[in-house]
Amino acid sequence: MVAIVGSGLAALAAFATLRHAGVPATGIAVFGTHADPTEVWRERAAAIRQERMRSESDGHLAAASFPGLALRERSLRALVGTATNRYRPSVETFLAHAERVRRRSGWDERFTERRIRSVRAVAGGFELDGDGPFAHVLLATGHPGLARVPGTVHAYEPHEYAAKVAVIGAGMAAATEWRNALAAGAEVVSIRRREPLRRPLNVPREYFSKRGLASFHRLPDVERAAELRRLSAPSYPPGPEWDAHVRVVDAPPPGFQVISATGFRKGFQEDMLLADLVAGHGLDTYDRWIVLSSDSAVPALTDETRTLSISGVAGQWAFPAGDTIAGAKYAARAFTRRVCRTRS
Amino acid sequence: MSYTLVGRLQTRVASAVPALVLALALHRWWAIELVALMLAIGVALDLAVYHRAIRYQPGWLALPLGAVELGLVYGAMRGLGIAAPLGLAALLFCVAWLSAQVLAHAVFPRLRLEYAETGGELGRAGALTAVAVAAVVVCGLGAAYAVRPPTYHLHGVVQGPITIRHAETLVGGIVRGGIKIRADHVTLRHVTVVGGQYGVDIEHAQHVMLDRVRVLHFQLDAIRALDAGVMIDRCSVTSPASNLTTGVLISYSIGRPMSMVSNCTIVGTREGIATHSSMVDVRGNHVVGTTVRGISLSEMSMDTATHNQVESARGIGILCMDHSMCEIEHNTVAGAIVDGDSNPSRHGVAIESYFYAEAHVAHNTVIASPGGVQAFDYGTINATAD
Repeated sequence: MVAIVGSGLAALAAFATLRHAGVPATGIAVFGTHADPTEVWRERAAAIRQERMRSESDGHLAAASFPGLALRERSLRALVGTATNRYRPSVETFLAHAERVRRRSGWDERFTERRIRSVRAVAGGFELDGDGPFAHVLLATGHPGLARVPGTVHAYEPHEYAAKVAVIGAGMAAATEWRNALAAGAEVVSIRRREPLRRPLNVPREYFSKRGLASFHRLPDVERAAELRRLSAPSYPPGPEWDAHVRVVDAPPPGFQVISATGFRKGFQEDMLLADLVAGHGLDTYDRWIVLSSDSAVPALTDETRTLSISGVAGQWAFPAGDTIAGAKYAARAFTRRVCRTRS
Repeated sequence: MSYTLVGRLQTRVASAVPALVLALALHRWWAIELVALMLAIGVALDLAVYHRAIRYQPGWLALPLGAVELGLVYGAMRGLGIAAPLGLAALLFCVAWLSAQVLAHAVFPRLRLEYAETGGELGRAGALTAVAVAAVVVCGLGAAYAVRPPTYHLHGVVQGPITIRHAETLVGGIVRGGIKIRADHVTLRHVTVVGGQYGVDIEHAQHVMLDRVRVLHFQLDAIRALDAGVMIDRCSVTSPASNLTTGVLISYSIGRPMSMVSNCTIVGTREGIATHSSMVDVRGNHVVGTTVRGISLSEMSMDTATHNQVESARGIGILCMDHSMCEIEHNTVAGAIVDGDSNPSRHGVAIESYFYAEAHVAHNTVIASPGGVQAFDYGTINATAD
């Protein structure tokens, strides 16, 4: 029996990948807090009024990357755009496709609304809050919560724009807020600790394939952590559509609405389930990351008979862009390989 | 995609499967040689250039890289003397390129979900496929080498006429009295033929290639092909021994594979290049000082004449005649000479359609030819504006 803990995009990607590999739906249990795997993400995207994805044509939740969203749009413009790396699917397209994946994969039949608080290794697999055992478990718990700044509204919560807006942060959400607030006619200032990088995707492209990952996986812990910190610097895509002329200030001027586009709390310690897992089994960690093998598995709890893998942002030790759709699929495919190897 | 080196090589070799299947289906050694050449050049580029220079390869880059590889393959094909018909060779390259795109962007990612994230590596199945492709190519090349026609190098002057009745390759030398070819798969390369009624006389044969053949002092035709499929490239025809000569004459070969006459220089014959009831691609030739017509496509032929230069032709530069269907494009006809006053069809006509012939004419350059472009006696000309 396979279990997925979590009910977001990464969980759905893993469920679809397992199903694609021939694992019957009845052999998978999904535990989470939201029956709709896109709900949390959709609300955050709506809060910042996001219209286009940062990911590209293959940034969808189906198991195989082909056909991508550009081909599914059936427009020459989208195809040319994807050949020249200029295609960004709309949020609407992405969500519509995610809904199809959810429906076809049988997600709803296997979902149980239940927050898992404890994972423990036992003979034959893992117990989830005492239930089980499950031979293979994927933890896709998502971000542990918003990084709030007291006295401000967080970008990922519903909000309107005042006439004067100060945006804290310099990443993708901040850039989206600048654009939207300016478009709404507001005067906008930016409060930031670092100048943002301009790059198309969350991390350089080679980190999405073995070409960059192989050298990343060879790094000693201290260098790998440094690299992950370097890669977590705020960034948003290049291009005139993202250029916004906003004044940079040190502190919010009086009378300004303050929006904190400061993302999420960081580190496994912020996630109750992961913190409990690390404490309960004395797992290897480094700084804010759980040490994982290159295929996203927890080495101390994974062997030929059982698998414990971590997907999403908590899986960055294996895949730097863990909190992207590509990251979710990377972990899902590696997990599926282990599951299928053991089943056969 | 960010390819690893292994991924590039496995993808390259596995993507050659469709082209290799087509090459095997064609039953032509040149096709297998061409696939091997494409693979060799591609692998060399992968190792020496692409892997180092291209850390991430966007989709659009396949087009310029494909164009570069096409140029290199064409150059190597010419340099190595692979006797491939240009059109089919280009088709094979296009099949290889297109299938590589389809495989890399659609098929491999479906067959192996982690194809992109492993940098194009195909796993065990890919490695086995690559080995199988390499084995087939090597075996094919070995077989081609084993059964290749013998090659004879001629030295100095050989007294002919020589009659060739078996597949073979003649290289170099000077042959007096002409060469008769009566077998398939004969190649003449760098051979000079002096004298003879016909310089090179080919009958009832196909897959004959004349590469850089020079013909001088012939009595009737420098190169004559009757019921034959022949590729003639970079030939030189000069100094005819009579007033009744034709540079290249291809007759009654419609039942044979298409022939090609390309990049030849023909000077001072009665007709430069003439076809009768044949399918011939006449391309890039230089025909000078003919006394009746420069290029004549006649008797229900289905020919193309493109990128030729016809200079100082008496009467007619390029003629499409007698129920033939001709594509005449991108030629230059200069200084066609008026041949008497009585016959307007020989009045220095640059391009002519005559007697129920249909000529499609486009993008030609006509200089100092008083007859211009004309149709006579129920011939028709369909012109595309320049």
